[in-house]
Amino acid sequence: MKSRKLYNRIAVLRKEKNITRKELAEIIGVNFQTIGYIEREEYNPSLDLAFKISEYFGLPIELIFSTKPLKPLIEEIIELKNKIGEQ
Amino acid sequence: MKQKNSMTRQKRKLWIVINYLSIILILSIFYTGKYYDWPVFVIVCEAASFILLIFSFIKVFIKTQLWKMSHASENNLDERQLQLMLKSIKYSYSAFTIIVLVIVYGFAIAEQGPIDVVIAACLLYFAHTLPAAIVGWKEKII
Repeated sequence: MKSRKLYNRIAVLRKEKNITRKELAEIIGVNFQTIGYIEREEYNPSLDLAFKISEYFGLPIELIFSTKPLKPLIEEIIELKNKIGEQ
Repeated sequence: MKQKNSMTRQKRKLWIVINYLSIILILSIFYTGKYYDWPVFVIVCEAASFILLIFSFIKVFIKTQLWKMSHASENNLDERQLQLMLKSIKYSYSAFTIIVLVIVYGFAIAEQGPIDVVIAACLLYFAHTLPAAIVGWKEKII
């Protein structure tokens, strides 16, 4: 079965945290090339690995991974704030 | 930073072809030598192709870490590498079975008896390197 492409924000989040692919790979316990593959959206991580990444960045998994192309994070946060405000 | 095991896919493919061509060369020269009772020139050619085999093996399997990856235990590979290895082992199983069958049938039809030890050694080498060669052939970055 061919799986859907998963878009992600790992490269942006990683740069924000100022860590290299190698450092992130060591933290979550994978080969550093695997981080490159995930960032380039050439490999879909398992649910376990996706959770490890989201736990490391301290963000909900849906803010890091999506099946649709991702908007800039700031836009997403503003939208989320507005939604909360409406409620 | 340039990685130690960096080699473009094109270069990797070229060295894989050279590596397997050197096996064919070793076998061809072996049978030529057997037929002509091992003249010095044939022995030199056989030695040269053996050196080529070792050199290309180091270049494409050792320096690129392909050998290490294909012979690592499951616990030392991450999920992507494991997936790669499983896929390549699946392909190499089919390819290896077909090649062995062709050789065994070829020997049976030609009434040559059992396969020579050199062919057996080459097949053993082939079985061990094929999964790594498939990963090296297909993957952009290892």
